[in-house]
Amino acid sequence: MDEFIIATLRYGTPLVYVTLAGVLAQRAGIWNLGLEGLMIVGCCASVLGLVQTGSLLFGLGLAVVLCVLGSILLWFVVEKLRANPIIAGLGLTGLGLGGTDLAVQAIYGSQASVTAPEGLPRLGAIFGPAVGPYGVLSILVVLMPFVVIGLWILLRRTRFGLQLAAAGEHPFAARSVGVSPSRMRLVALSLGGVLCALGGAELALGSLQIFAYGMTAGRGFMGFSAVIFGGGHPIGSSFAALFFSVVGAIGIRAQLMFGDRVPHDLLLALPYVATVAGVWISGRLRGGARAAAVSGELRDY
Amino acid sequence: MAPSGAPALECRDVSVSYGPVAALSGVSLRLAPGLIHAVCGQNGAGKTTFARVASGLVRPNRGALFISGQEVATGNVARARAAGVELVHQSFALPPSFTVAEAMEFGAEKGTPIYSRRGLEARWKQHLENLGVRVRLRDRIRDLAVEQQQGVEIARALVAEASVLILDEPTAVLSPTGVEMLFDRLRNLKAGGVTILLILHKIREVLGVADTVTVLRGGKLVEGPLPAGDTTPQLRLAHAIVGSAAEQALSGADEAALTGAEGRDLGASVEPVASVPATPAGPVALEIAGASTRADPEGPALADIDLAVGRSEIVGVAGVEGNGQRTLVRMLANLADLQSGRIALAGTDVTRGALAARRGAGLRIIPFERNTEGLSLASSLWENWSARQLLFGPLLKLISPAAWRRDCDLSLKQWDVRYATTTQPAGSLSGGNAQKLILAREVDADASLIIAAQPTRGLDVGATAFVWKSLRAARERGCGVLLISSDLDELFDISDRLIVMLSGRIVAEFRPPYSLSAVGAAMTGAR
Amino acid sequence: MMLKGRLITVGRAIAFVLLALILCGIVFQLAGYSAKEMFQSIADGAFLNPGAWKNSLRWALPLFITACGVAISFRCGFFNVGAQGQFYLGAIGATFVVDFMAGWPAFVVIPLAFLAGILGGAIWALWPALLRVRSGTDEVITTLMGNFIAGLVLIYVCSGILKDPSGTGQVMASRPVSPAFRISTNSGLSPTIIGIVIVVGVAMWLLVNRTAFGVLSSLAGRNPIMVVWQGAKLSRLGIAGFVLGGALAGLAGTIEVLGPNGRLVSGFLPAHGFTAILIALVASLSITGTAIVSLFFGGLAAASLYLPVLAGLPSAAIDIINAAIALFITARTVPGLARLAARRRASGST
Repeated sequence: MDEFIIATLRYGTPLVYVTLAGVLAQRAGIWNLGLEGLMIVGCCASVLGLVQTGSLLFGLGLAVVLCVLGSILLWFVVEKLRANPIIAGLGLTGLGLGGTDLAVQAIYGSQASVTAPEGLPRLGAIFGPAVGPYGVLSILVVLMPFVVIGLWILLRRTRFGLQLAAAGEHPFAARSVGVSPSRMRLVALSLGGVLCALGGAELALGSLQIFAYGMTAGRGFMGFSAVIFGGGHPIGSSFAALFFSVVGAIGIRAQLMFGDRVPHDLLLALPYVATVAGVWISGRLRGGARAAAVSGELRDY
Repeated sequence: MAPSGAPALECRDVSVSYGPVAALSGVSLRLAPGLIHAVCGQNGAGKTTFARVASGLVRPNRGALFISGQEVATGNVARARAAGVELVHQSFALPPSFTVAEAMEFGAEKGTPIYSRRGLEARWKQHLENLGVRVRLRDRIRDLAVEQQQGVEIARALVAEASVLILDEPTAVLSPTGVEMLFDRLRNLKAGGVTILLILHKIREVLGVADTVTVLRGGKLVEGPLPAGDTTPQLRLAHAIVGSAAEQALSGADEAALTGAEGRDLGASVEPVASVPATPAGPVALEIAGASTRADPEGPALADIDLAVGRSEIVGVAGVEGNGQRTLVRMLANLADLQSGRIALAGTDVTRGALAARRGAGLRIIPFERNTEGLSLASSLWENWSARQLLFGPLLKLISPAAWRRDCDLSLKQWDVRYATTTQPAGSLSGGNAQKLILAREVDADASLIIAAQPTRGLDVGATAFVWKSLRAARERGCGVLLISSDLDELFDISDRLIVMLSGRIVAEFRPPYSLSAVGAAMTGAR
Repeated sequence: MMLKGRLITVGRAIAFVLLALILCGIVFQLAGYSAKEMFQSIADGAFLNPGAWKNSLRWALPLFITACGVAISFRCGFFNVGAQGQFYLGAIGATFVVDFMAGWPAFVVIPLAFLAGILGGAIWALWPALLRVRSGTDEVITTLMGNFIAGLVLIYVCSGILKDPSGTGQVMASRPVSPAFRISTNSGLSPTIIGIVIVVGVAMWLLVNRTAFGVLSSLAGRNPIMVVWQGAKLSRLGIAGFVLGGALAGLAGTIEVLGPNGRLVSGFLPAHGFTAILIALVASLSITGTAIVSLFFGGLAAASLYLPVLAGLPSAAIDIINAAIALFITARTVPGLARLAARRRASGST
């Protein structure tokens, strides 16, 4: 059981961070499909920063700075150039995937992955043997519930949260009380960039201590789906993300238990299937298709 | 806030243009403190733009804004609010998913950094009670009735001790009694020292409440501020609002209807309607018997609707907005969930018929929302125009777009649409021309019933007169017309018969001459 | 007016592509490469080297077919971003047929392989279309997830049922397609493939520009509500466009397997679907435009193979160029321009 919970948390913690970034963007009225790209930048920058300077803090700082810059780029393109958020988000994702690939090749030649000498601080190292098998988890796993609750307070229990929601739901209402929806979106996306950097760092340095091309494997998109499944609520969406992780952990577990008797590659598809099911259920519950409706259509042809 | 010294609000030489269109040109106006001021004018006269400039929502291309004698940077809501100006919008500007308490809080200036739900409600309860707004703080904005929403919006505007309150067309969504309640509320505020600026277009209402009246036409200030009261010459105001009556070629009744000038109650200025048969002869254009629907996303459920529209008859539908008019139109378009009853078009039973079949039987719809339900703004004129006919043909047969463009060109010329080419996007047309494009598509020789939902909302005087003329012409050709409008003057002017809807039912039926007080009572359910 | 409108559309597309290229140049320079050398090598690999255009055309032809499908489903207002998965499923379907009917005559197997490929792509578009139309499930998510699932299915069949036993461990691939069933050599340029592309192109052009379906689906794509009020069955239009898009992607997958690729390889052409989406968007969803823009992106695809092998530069450069174009291509305004124009008008009127 412990192993199962550990597997779920390992899979789920990066996903929850990136989901929270999606929640922030969604509350402010932008459907952020660039999460995948921001997350891989977070992975790559934290590992490369750490390897190049030997400082974990530098790696994390680099990840945060680059992810925030990427978010600002998306904000500029969507808000100022009025580009379609879905396509621009996919473009940002492509930029993240291609850019990290280019960075690794520029520094290490045609190497496929980069190994880091150390990872994020582990619970075992901080609290000693008292935490038992959970000692292998990183500090960001413990931080995760506090970030979730903090974001819930920020979004649902402060005036800032109300103004952010107004900017997303009814920009005119926000403008007529003197709140600039555009600025609100910039704040939301930038904060989301920080969360994506943390999610990426946890994925790369939390347990594996490695960066490999495309290692996010759709987690950004799953985070986006968790936002839809959770109705944009920070706690609901986090639980949706954990649900996807449980399904992923079940897949890993099944592999360990049944070995070659189950098709290994198809088990890997379980989280994606769960994501489709989750979005389908939320569509049924809420009369759905909101993402597409909100993001607007392609008018210019 | 004694009425002395500096004006509460002053605009100097304000000009605003949206693209090539000048919405306001060189407007200068001083409003004395502690009074109720009205700004009147037709749709498109620049009233809403004026309100938005005064509240900082729109930055004028030129001009200055002074509040209580202090110059305030233009185009900055936060500054204008800090100086005490608040705006209540025509279509309310509160996020529908917010609770009443949240709607109060999100625009507030001061308060605790983190609140609890209960603390928030306690904080705003007293404020709402003081203003006489009776709502539960946990209710969501989208679940409130329009009067309540307006009350909440006004309360929201008064959160930060406003010295100037601007209301943009506050009466458009209200019943006659609701209007009276609103005016009482405004008089109370005035007694409390708040300066009020009302944007209105009905002279009757202006004279009922305002202390001064100013008239805008075509973005220019043409009259005022005049003291308002019983002695104000109504005809002069009416002429100031619509411009020279001769130019617009309007009948006296139409002009009165456009400005809402006095005279309705007596029925004196209603044109005698040509002998309408009491029971329409022949197969009626529309017959609805005992129709009930489920509640619709856009309005209440319909209950037991019986309605017949004869050929050559214009039946008006009156009612406060949100009392089932939209459901009625959606039911006729087969978009609402019909539970029982029967619908027949020109003698053909279409109860179970899809909208395509109903359109085949002669149903034509001028929908409520011109820019979403009526037209695809990004598509070209000819595509919009040909949609109805293309849907009746085979989908995969080869067509000649050039031939469709030619036909479209001919038809639009007949309907007097002003455009450059049939390939320009529909979004480039003005409101009036866009409505004419819809008329050109929907009003054809095969039409047997035309549903016209708010067909003149937002149109200028000329376009409004054109729509009325078209509907009357359709009636002369033997077409039935169902006219849904929230403008009683319009309904009184062109309906042969008038029904009133309340909470999804038809509660009354009137024939000319109409009495405003009787129809108004029916609209609110008063006996 | 019509011509002017088109010129503006084309001009804007070119301007944003150029902007994206400039940004990429800056990125290359920052990463320590010479932007000049990079662009020079890309141009060489795509068009300038002798015979490079043939290679570019080889990549452009399947891309054009998939991009036509994307353009049609986007025109219908459906964000079908699952071209990659539909492409894979088409390729898998075709491979199954040629693999299991190895002993049959070519005139039976090849049409059946095409049918299976088209069906595979169509089915992989059908379920997101149905979910969207029936329960309002956002199709962006379902088709994206469909891409990941299809990628895993491809690995599964390549390492299982269709596995080439003689293959070495590194790359998993199916048994090679028998030469009798190939429709082109590895060059990818055969009369059959060119013929299919021309037929598909003409048919799609007619469908979009010369049928009621074309007019109504484009109205529906821009404003579905209006078309519903005209009495159209929106779901049928949408499913038709969506499934047609999937079918075309599947057709492209079939061409790749029976044509230049000659076998199914796990994870092959991972950027095909995304590039097709870009082509459709750069071409403003017009079929004629798609044909022209395909040549450009076909060139980039050819260059992405040329770069690492012959120029010693990372192929990620092409991914970055594609992504930067995606970032900007749907932009509708240039900041400051509208305000500048308004100011000029205002000062002109006084």
